[in-house]
Amino acid sequence: MKDQFQLLQEIERYLEGQMSEPEKAAFEALRKADAALDRQVNEQQAFLDTFQQYGRRKNLQQRMDKIHSTINTEQLHAKPEAKVLTMRKAGYPRRRMLTNLAAAACIALVTSLATIAIMQQAARQKSTSQYEDVRRVLNNIQRSQNALIKDMNNNKKAPANPGTYGGTGFAISTNGYIITNYHVVSGADSVYVQNNKGEAFKANSIFEDISADLAILKIADSTFKSQPLPYTLKPQAVRLGEEVFTMGYPRDEIVYGKGYISAQTGFQGDTVAYQVSIPVNPGNSGAPLMDNEGNIVGIITGKQTTSDGIAFAVKSFHLKRLLEEMPKEKLPRREWTRKNNLNTLSRVDQIKKLEDFVYMVKVYN
Amino acid sequence: MNDNLNIARDKELLEGLARDDDKALKTIYLDNFPAILRMVIQNNGSEDDAKDLFQEAMIVLYEKVQQGGFDLYSKLKTFLYAVCRHLWLKKLQGNTWQVALSDGLEETLPMEDTMEEHQKRDEQFNVMQKAMGNLGEPCKTLLEDYYLRKLSMQDIAEKFGYTNPDNAKNQKYKCLMRLKKLFFDQYAG
Repeated sequence: MKDQFQLLQEIERYLEGQMSEPEKAAFEALRKADAALDRQVNEQQAFLDTFQQYGRRKNLQQRMDKIHSTINTEQLHAKPEAKVLTMRKAGYPRRRMLTNLAAAACIALVTSLATIAIMQQAARQKSTSQYEDVRRVLNNIQRSQNALIKDMNNNKKAPANPGTYGGTGFAISTNGYIITNYHVVSGADSVYVQNNKGEAFKANSIFEDISADLAILKIADSTFKSQPLPYTLKPQAVRLGEEVFTMGYPRDEIVYGKGYISAQTGFQGDTVAYQVSIPVNPGNSGAPLMDNEGNIVGIITGKQTTSDGIAFAVKSFHLKRLLEEMPKEKLPRREWTRKNNLNTLSRVDQIKKLEDFVYMVKVYN
Repeated sequence: MNDNLNIARDKELLEGLARDDDKALKTIYLDNFPAILRMVIQNNGSEDDAKDLFQEAMIVLYEKVQQGGFDLYSKLKTFLYAVCRHLWLKKLQGNTWQVALSDGLEETLPMEDTMEEHQKRDEQFNVMQKAMGNLGEPCKTLLEDYYLRKLSMQDIAEKFGYTNPDNAKNQKYKCLMRLKKLFFDQYAG
């Protein structure tokens, strides 16, 4: 017991820096030689850190309780807005400082924007050759006989011309909101979406995010109504190696593809996207990327031309952000289902359910 | 422009918080509490819930700042709001991770790392609090006086009526060893 006290005392003197130089050197030599001692020193240090943290937190809690007791919560209920404003004013720096700050910030802003613009241009020039959007250039020959017959039978007002470009999109609400890639619909004169039954609807792009390469389309027919959505959006990051699948329209028929998340960043370290090892072809742009439970985890955007089987998908977090940024009156908010109905189904049944919510996007320009 | 000003101001406040400046703490507290109160009340919570939630978020912030190297990549308000939402969401949902989009309560910043760290600290804190509770007097006050309030051994000896500082020191080591035992019995990590 006595020895232990002594040891503890030595360790404490060492940690508090009370030892003289020769003592310290001797102790350090001992520490190097004796692994058990070294461990004890580290443990003591860690323990004291934890203890101090405990003390600091206790102290902070007391201070906060004191501040809290000065707040009149009744008043907050009555006029929260006014209260916030007056408090803000009291905390602002003086006017002169404001002007200086504003000027400095302006210069900083301009400089950084210019730098970003230049860097981006340089990067783009270098990299466009390797990255390819997977939208599809359509022509009459590629259009299958099958779809033509369906059009005639249904007597829907699908345009005779099959469109200049094609991509994929999927429903994010039951009343006709569809998400696809920005590059699919950019520069479009008109956009049509076509479901797997061959029915086509006119759509308008109502909200776009160029940086995340996303666009939200709305079916122009205001009476449009679909079944409740079977899937949910999973905004959390998906782990490396997670199995994913996609459904899109590289042909006139819906095509299923399966793969896995192969990297957490997209083309040249782009953090907006995942790298996915999955077969994609022109026309897959805008296709949903789903995990095994049928949650949306991303949106296919493009692939690397220099090697096979490398595709990129925007992370679903950005879709969620886009929905949040959307002006309130346009928002299809309440339309999302609370529950995912796909998680218990087999893959074949999942696909069967999903088919109805994945659309071919046809662009004319 | 306004945003840049806010960022400069937030930075100043955080520096104050790191220095344990009472005024900075008070400003942050009063600036941000009303928004959290509103959020909690809108989601069927009580005022006490709001207080607990907000103070926990403040602890997260405080410990991050104290640790140093905390880069605020969003507005301070956004950060606190995100932490509170995250904590609240967790409280409402138990530990499930599925977020239904219809709900107005979505995270605004990815918070997983911060929260994991916080959970670990929280566990340490709770174990320490329990250990201190079980330690009893005079050990509790003695250790607090020495390690937290940084009183000298001389002062402590006088306060507790020990005949000399060496006796107090021995007592302190005894206490420390007991506390360590209590702590490590509970906490394995």
